Amino acid sequence: MSPEALLVLVPLLPLVAAIVTVVAGPRLGPRPYLPAVTGIGAAAVVALLLLVVTARSSDGGDHPRPVDMVKTLWQWATVSEAYTPPADSPAAVPGTAVGADTHASRPFSIAVALRLDPLTATMLILITGIGLLVAVYSIGYMHDDPGSPRFFALVAMFVFSMSMLVAASNFLLVYVFWEAVGACSYLLIGFWFVKPEAARAARKAFLVNRVGDFGLAIGVFLLWLTYGTLDFHDTLSPDGTILPGILGQTRLADVSGYAGGAVGTAICLLLLLAACGKSAQLPLHVWLPDAMEGPTPASALIHAATMVTAGIYLIARSAPLFMANPGALVIVSIVGATTALVAALIGTVQNDLKRVLAYSTISQLGYMFASLGTGTLLGFTAAIFHLLTHAFFKALLFLGAGSVMHAMGGVIDMRRFGGLRKLMPITAATFLVGSLALAGVAPFAGFFSKDEILASLHQKGWPEAHGEHGEHHAFVPVLPEPASPRATLHDVGYRGVASAESHAAATAPSGLDSLDTPAVWQTLFWMALVTAGLTAFYTFRAVFMTFTGPLRVPDEAGHHAHESPRVMTTPLIILAVPAALAGLILFATEGLASFLAATPSFTAPAVVATAAPAVFHWDLAVQGTLAAALGIVLAAVGHYGRRSDGPQLERWLGPIRPFLENRMYIDQVYVAVIVKPVEAVALLAAMFDRSVIDRLVRALARFPAVVGNLIRRLQSGLVQRYALAGVVGVLAIIVLMAWRL
Amino acid sequence: MTTGLLFAAAALPLLQNGLIVGAILFSLGLVGILTRRNLIVMFLSAELMLQGISVSLVSWSRYHGDFGGQVLVIFVLSVAACEAAVALVFVLQAFARTGRLDAAAWQSLREGPLPRSIDQEIPAIDTPGLVFPQLTPAGISPETDTDASLEREHV
Repeated sequence: MSPEALLVLVPLLPLVAAIVTVVAGPRLGPRPYLPAVTGIGAAAVVALLLLVVTARSSDGGDHPRPVDMVKTLWQWATVSEAYTPPADSPAAVPGTAVGADTHASRPFSIAVALRLDPLTATMLILITGIGLLVAVYSIGYMHDDPGSPRFFALVAMFVFSMSMLVAASNFLLVYVFWEAVGACSYLLIGFWFVKPEAARAARKAFLVNRVGDFGLAIGVFLLWLTYGTLDFHDTLSPDGTILPGILGQTRLADVSGYAGGAVGTAICLLLLLAACGKSAQLPLHVWLPDAMEGPTPASALIHAATMVTAGIYLIARSAPLFMANPGALVIVSIVGATTALVAALIGTVQNDLKRVLAYSTISQLGYMFASLGTGTLLGFTAAIFHLLTHAFFKALLFLGAGSVMHAMGGVIDMRRFGGLRKLMPITAATFLVGSLALAGVAPFAGFFSKDEILASLHQKGWPEAHGEHGEHHAFVPVLPEPASPRATLHDVGYRGVASAESHAAATAPSGLDSLDTPAVWQTLFWMALVTAGLTAFYTFRAVFMTFTGPLRVPDEAGHHAHESPRVMTTPLIILAVPAALAGLILFATEGLASFLAATPSFTAPAVVATAAPAVFHWDLAVQGTLAAALGIVLAAVGHYGRRSDGPQLERWLGPIRPFLENRMYIDQVYVAVIVKPVEAVALLAAMFDRSVIDRLVRALARFPAVVGNLIRRLQSGLVQRYALAGVVGVLAIIVLMAWRL
Repeated sequence: MTTGLLFAAAALPLLQNGLIVGAILFSLGLVGILTRRNLIVMFLSAELMLQGISVSLVSWSRYHGDFGGQVLVIFVLSVAACEAAVALVFVLQAFARTGRLDAAAWQSLREGPLPRSIDQEIPAIDTPGLVFPQLTPAGISPETDTDASLEREHV
């Protein structure tokens, strides 16, 4: 089987599993998990094969050549001659010189196409692997739940949607599956929909995500206007010309292939908005902590390991677009680092174990954004590296939290239990491994990926310290003066959408580009370092509160609080292995970085130019480890071996503590600024609807009734009346005829 | 037509008389059917109308000197005979159900909210000393037809 055909199998198998689960439903009896576990497991095997295939074909020596294999399933929509580049811009779609006529109108064609490249292969193995472990874990966790067929169907559906999202080779398909994973997330958060909090959390997640999705939609429209296609890959039109896809090799080879200026920045910022929604970055992070109302395995899979990384994936995938807009890149980093710091601060005072992990997820995603924003090959690969290791250890932590919650009878407030180390040794040990990885303690996974992220930020902040790559600190793609009448892409976007005046404004560097200074990057670096310390603190605070101190169990757990069943602890043990070792292996062999470098998006000249030889930065490692150690020591001082409901370290925080405990009042601000006004408008609209529109309609509806009431008197049921009516009628006809004649 | 009238000038008074008699009969029947509530009298009035028409048909037939009208009258008579048979069966059945020959007893086709039109209170049947013979009940007692019993109150 060709790799392309295998690629189709990865989403297909979970989809079939989901459909089988839905159709068979209760008939699966006590084993509702069978289709989902089998389907996702098979998909994981296929994904592993694909990883091997991709790795084999990407072994290209020093200069990795782009690897992509495209499988077009069918043509979804075709509108011929949908887009004609303006006559005065021969380069409306640059790179079309490969064909003949650049003026020719182009079709709007959406193919259901999947593309296999290193980034996709990495994401697929992550999604199916974690998906499989979570599905297995859920066998135990959802054992007693009557709705478990629904749960497994949704998990399989999610794995399908997510693998389509990372495999799709078209921005429109990405949008479709972006929504699909959002829908799965909504349904899983609201899995226990009879619980008002869960229903509310699901609705909140859905609505907040709408804001981001709106950004993605507008971004896709702009991409279409700017590039005249939405495909990632190059397509061959029937007349033999090559239509370069947005992330196809033709355009990637073209130095001026990507729009900069106002339109380019707008596209990038809209994509960033979308990523902020899905990946829970400021200011759209508010849905993720509430999303913990869903079943814990769903939180582990969707809200920690996979779906929330869709934003990282989107930006990494669109790397060449961002490289042409340094201003947008800085914004990515600023958003990321700010989110990382804010979420870590809030996480330090949360008492709900899952909520601590949720804020930790937001914070770590912020880390990845900060790394992506550096716009260097190191930054991109470091983000994906951290994405990978984070998926392992955060899924592990969530499943561990689920195990605790399972044993504690649904209680998740850390103040109500403690000393569980003796009660649940396996959970405690694996949780500790996950925490060490999250805190960034060498040699656990998080240490290496976090070190790379710090290095990428450090490289931008102190370019001279990194030698020859210093000149790229404010990366502007070197655009050759257009020798031919074909203009650079800087002209392109606006011709399509705006007047000539904006043309001048657009070619000038946008105001955001001025943010791209070492001082800004140095600030971001320090923010990331502080976050590293805070991360270690809140992680070990949770560990110490939950697993150390005198043994205490809440009443809800009953008298039989015990370690979780094997089916739940086995995934924990399996996940603990990569959480401990993945970082070391991937870093030492440099496997991941060189593998990812063959992703088409990372072979753009602008990205390749930033490639630096991988070095282990001892100074950064020491700084990072010191920060982590400080955090752990602080947590140990405050919480090790104490009753978790006792006086806490946070009492020293003074007035800051309620500020942080109330999540910096961000939710309250949103309620006051957005929710309340919208509710007021809705109330007005409802009043208008009831008092004006409804009354109007009712008045209209009363008219036939009134007329009918008048006429029904005629139906007396008396024979004589009917006879009289007949006589009168005949007379009327006679009179009429006489009159006519 | 005018030539026909000229040729049959002598027949004209006869036609006029016949038509006048026919019209009187028809009108009597019409008035009867509109004003009388007794089913048999209404039926008789309808017959009267038919006869009125028949008389005028015969008159025209004689006036024109052909048999078309008379043939039609023969048909009318035979149809009327059949109709009489059927209608009398209906009247008999109606009487058997309600014990009355009043057409106003049958008002079920009126619109729901309209009140039943009763122009005259019917005196209650006062049967203090009457003992009706009763058959020994046998078999399953039939279900009471509530609608029918309602109607019976007005007997």
